[in-house]
Amino acid sequence: MKKMIWLTSLFVIFLVFIVPGMLASTLDIIPYGDQPGYNSNQRLAVYGERTVSQKFISTEKNLAAIGTSIRNPNLKNKKEIILSLYDEDKNLVRTLTLNGQNFQDGDFVKFVFPEISDSEGKIYTFTISSPLAGPEETVEVFYFGGATENILEYTYDEKSYPGGLPIVTFYKPNSKLEVIKKVYSNWLSRLL
Amino acid sequence: MKKLIFWAILLRLLVAAFLFHPDIKTYNFQASFLKKGVFNIYTYLVDNKKSLTLKDDFVYFPLTYFAVGGYQWAASPIMGTGFDSWLADASSTSVVGNPNIFKYLVVLKLPYLILDIWIAFLLKKFFDKKEDGEKAFIFWLFNPFTIYLIYAFSNIDIYPVLLTLVAFLLLKKDKLMQASAIIGLAAGFKLYPILFIPFLVLKGKDLKEKLLVGVIPTLILTAIVLPFWSPAFIQSAFVSGLTTRIFNPGFSIGFGESMIVSLLAMSLLFFYGWLVEKKLNLFNYWVILLLAIFSFSHFHIAWLLWIAPFAVILSVKKPQLSLPLFLIAVLSLLIPMFYEDRSMAISLFRIYSTWYDLIPTPFAILEKFYNPYNLQSILHSIMAGGSLIVGYKLLRREETK
Repeated sequence: MKKMIWLTSLFVIFLVFIVPGMLASTLDIIPYGDQPGYNSNQRLAVYGERTVSQKFISTEKNLAAIGTSIRNPNLKNKKEIILSLYDEDKNLVRTLTLNGQNFQDGDFVKFVFPEISDSEGKIYTFTISSPLAGPEETVEVFYFGGATENILEYTYDEKSYPGGLPIVTFYKPNSKLEVIKKVYSNWLSRLL
Repeated sequence: MKKLIFWAILLRLLVAAFLFHPDIKTYNFQASFLKKGVFNIYTYLVDNKKSLTLKDDFVYFPLTYFAVGGYQWAASPIMGTGFDSWLADASSTSVVGNPNIFKYLVVLKLPYLILDIWIAFLLKKFFDKKEDGEKAFIFWLFNPFTIYLIYAFSNIDIYPVLLTLVAFLLLKKDKLMQASAIIGLAAGFKLYPILFIPFLVLKGKDLKEKLLVGVIPTLILTAIVLPFWSPAFIQSAFVSGLTTRIFNPGFSIGFGESMIVSLLAMSLLFFYGWLVEKKLNLFNYWVILLLAIFSFSHFHIAWLLWIAPFAVILSVKKPQLSLPLFLIAVLSLLIPMFYEDRSMAISLFRIYSTWYDLIPTPFAILEKFYNPYNLQSILHSIMAGGSLIVGYKLLRREETK
């Protein structure tokens, strides 16, 4: 009976205090903030030569991924979807290619690339394109008006507007321990 | 004893406060309309779907609505002003980021804690020998399965589980009529106890008693359900996917017909009890019936609570079955973890951090090198094999009363 009490107590302690840390230790990248809200009726079509560009500020060092919600109506796009990332001097710094068939309609799609170590505070622009897709194979990205702290402006049909895609930027943490510490301190700060 | 209960409560509060399954918010949002005077939640939700932030149907039976809604009304002064907007919040991120979430979860799960401790005391009464009662009491309070099932998954099924246990205490005292009435009441929360009525009928001494035992719970359930009977109720609760999942078709026998395996098992059990058994032991039949349901249907993890108090009784009565029952319980809990459903595993910890949304589910991880459905099937088959043998042993020996 004593064994049972001990085992159950250890199980609960493990579940409540240890598992969260173990889960945190599996994270390779961490997001900066939450995805901004957007109106699902405001969308921009991307296919052929129609591309969309987004200017943003990298808030942290080790920029490692950019994510946003993408529609793939009726899953028709099975072509390449390319994200090209440029620095402020318009040098291409990263290119990522995904295939439309790998994501569902409305999925939050992450473009993960080798981290940029000195990204903190720098302005970048990325372009999303699907050059081989025809008008029937369009993908759509959502957008919102008005710039935020780090989402500055977007360009579509050669015109620029404030605001843009509801993106989340991801950063590679310095160490696993840093992530674990952040998770527990965030939890405790809300608890206490 | 007091120290043990205090420790048991503390362990439960820890899981209650920090593990979050979104179902608790959904059914509490729905039950919150009781405070606003809504009587028929089924039609209300269907009629107002467009304007509601959470669009799910109310899948439970009416007594659950009144129990959850009534408690929420009583607890609302503790919850504070932001509680209703938290319930209505459709954003999965701000919901777990709310600084009051710990308080909300503890208060909302408090009735489960009371019922849970109550079950522990009822289990004590089930045994004639004091030591056996105390053993069952400890087994219930200090087993990881029920703590996880009740508090991580905010398991509303604890209401009918308590009532079915009460029904079995009455059966122990040969109060068949009262037990059948309690079964009817339990079905007013969730339909599954109704599956036991045919076995209660078998236990009736004569035709009159058999008739009454069948009619009483049916009438009670009808009285509970009748005021809500509507297309909305039928679709949302009566024939909802969860209610009818037990009867999902098994294998085809041609020309569009299928053999429903769990129903076949129930039918076998019923006819065995009727035609073969000399002295029907209802406890054993209830355990076998539940084991058959879990063995042959794609069960929801919350359902496992249905059998938990009876498994504790069985472990005390037949210690040689405790290890097999433990293994069956582990397998049963493992299977849902491999469902393609984040809230079965990682999402339970979203209170700590929404960063966990980046972690792939066990299903997605496994998918990279093996078919997760195969693993589910393997685990389920092993679990079913063990359950069948436990059932067989119970049918062979009639010691558990």
